[in-house]
Amino acid sequence: MRYLDGEMSAAERTAFEEHLAVCGECRQSMDELGQVERLTGMMKIRDPQDDFWEAYWKKLSRRLERKTAWLFIIAGAALMVLYALWKGVTDFGEISFVKVVAVLLAAGFVILLISVIRERIHQYRTDRYKDIER
Amino acid sequence: MTVTDGTTDISKETLQAWKDGSVKAFEVVVRSAMRRAYAVAVGIVGNAEDARDLSQEAFMAAHRARGTFDVERPFFPWFYRILRNRCLNFLRKKAGRREVSIDMLIEKPGRSESPEKGVMRKERAEALWQAIQELTPEHREIIILRSFQELSYREISETLGISEGTVMSRLYYARKSLYGKLKDNLYREGDDQP
Repeated sequence: MRYLDGEMSAAERTAFEEHLAVCGECRQSMDELGQVERLTGMMKIRDPQDDFWEAYWKKLSRRLERKTAWLFIIAGAALMVLYALWKGVTDFGEISFVKVVAVLLAAGFVILLISVIRERIHQYRTDRYKDIER
Repeated sequence: MTVTDGTTDISKETLQAWKDGSVKAFEVVVRSAMRRAYAVAVGIVGNAEDARDLSQEAFMAAHRARGTFDVERPFFPWFYRILRNRCLNFLRKKAGRREVSIDMLIEKPGRSESPEKGVMRKERAEALWQAIQELTPEHREIIILRSFQELSYREISETLGISEGTVMSRLYYARKSLYGKLKDNLYREGDDQP
């Protein structure tokens, strides 16, 4: 392999070529593998056009933006719910339709938030990339 | 200072800025490594669309995991493990239903050719690609890294986290296997190359 891939020093190369001259088995093996190497060496993987690469980064960029936007939305909504709960506890007054709806919405949101957080924690615990070696 | 890993040169300052959360630095990292990431993914999964999606997902996963990245080390070997895992998981899920494009290989530029020889070369490129796609994922990736990414044994060893001896033996068996599949499409040294 090292001979075919140019990974031998000049001295190693000379010694190996001397060996090839007298060893038919190695010669045949080098011949076969050399044919494969020559063919693969002629080819390359098709490179997409420039617009493909521009779209490539833009898609990643949009994903990052959306991720940030969702973080803001979740944080804002969570603060709003907490404020509403606090106000509800400290200044609830008489029960009304609007208050019941607000409590139901708040409860639903809190449950949803807890569910998302639990899922995130589960993902983090099972994420195979978080312990990538340095 | 630039930390080099063969073909992806990204300065240490850029890597540090990325690690600190700079989106601009992330763009530099992506633009430096995307072609190579895509090409490796194409080699492993066999078609352009899946390779694009998987390599993009790998960049997002790398971005999330950037806190674990050591800026003193080259970026690509670290990133490659993420990309590789994504691609292999994808193949496991697909299991036998993988879509392989037939025309992902082309001849390197600079070879004059007659139209007939051009057709023969196209057929040969397709046969080679087909044969590569029939290899095991491990053999496929080592052929991609060595023959199409032109990494040295040392670079492959660092990228895959295996010894240079294993690189050599894996390459040997991968090429042997390719030879078995391609016997009729190969030519010997000194033949009139089509």
